[in-house]
Amino acid sequence: MPRKMEPTLRNCVRELRTAKAGMTQQELADQVGVTRQTIIALEGGAYTPSLALALRIARVFGKATDDIFQLDESSR
Amino acid sequence: MNAMEKVAWTELVVSVSAVGVATLLIPWLGNGATGAFGLLGFLGLCVVFVRRRGNRVVVDERDREIEAHATRIGVGVAWMTLFTALIVATLWANYSHANAVSTGFLNWLLWVQFATCYGIKGLVAVLMYRRQQRAA
Repeated sequence: MPRKMEPTLRNCVRELRTAKAGMTQQELADQVGVTRQTIIALEGGAYTPSLALALRIARVFGKATDDIFQLDESSR
Repeated sequence: MNAMEKVAWTELVVSVSAVGVATLLIPWLGNGATGAFGLLGFLGLCVVFVRRRGNRVVVDERDREIEAHATRIGVGVAWMTLFTALIVATLWANYSHANAVSTGFLNWLLWVQFATCYGIKGLVAVLMYRRQQRAA
């Protein structure tokens, strides 16, 4: 599939992170095993995480992945 | 700037510098100017950026994804450069009745292809990191 036609994900990672006692991006990055720059890109919608990373993020916040990530097919 | 972005910039700068210095030395050294491609040895410095730093993650899945994509494009461009140059050289040797391609030309071709591979790889990786930073 051409890169521009790939569906993007919307997420509420930033909102969940700031609501969780002001967790920093570095703290979240350390907990899920990525760099802070990846968290920045993810929160900004510039990066689509792998399934494993999405599941690790969901586990940190104690929510289902569907509650954190939503498919945004309107961007196609 | 994270570790792999520094690696990408290093690859780009070193490759462009090697080609630039080699080109500048042609008037004085001729085919000997290919010695300037020894600058590509500085690519080995990239390991300094990805050294382990305590428990902090240095290279993650996003970095690997970007590097894989950049490598595919860099290698592809390098191979096409090689094929195209060899086709041109063969045609030139045929139609100019030279019946031979100089080893100097082949030497330049090999080093330019090597530098092209890493230069394009670095450029693509840098652009991908910049695009994600702007979009974020």
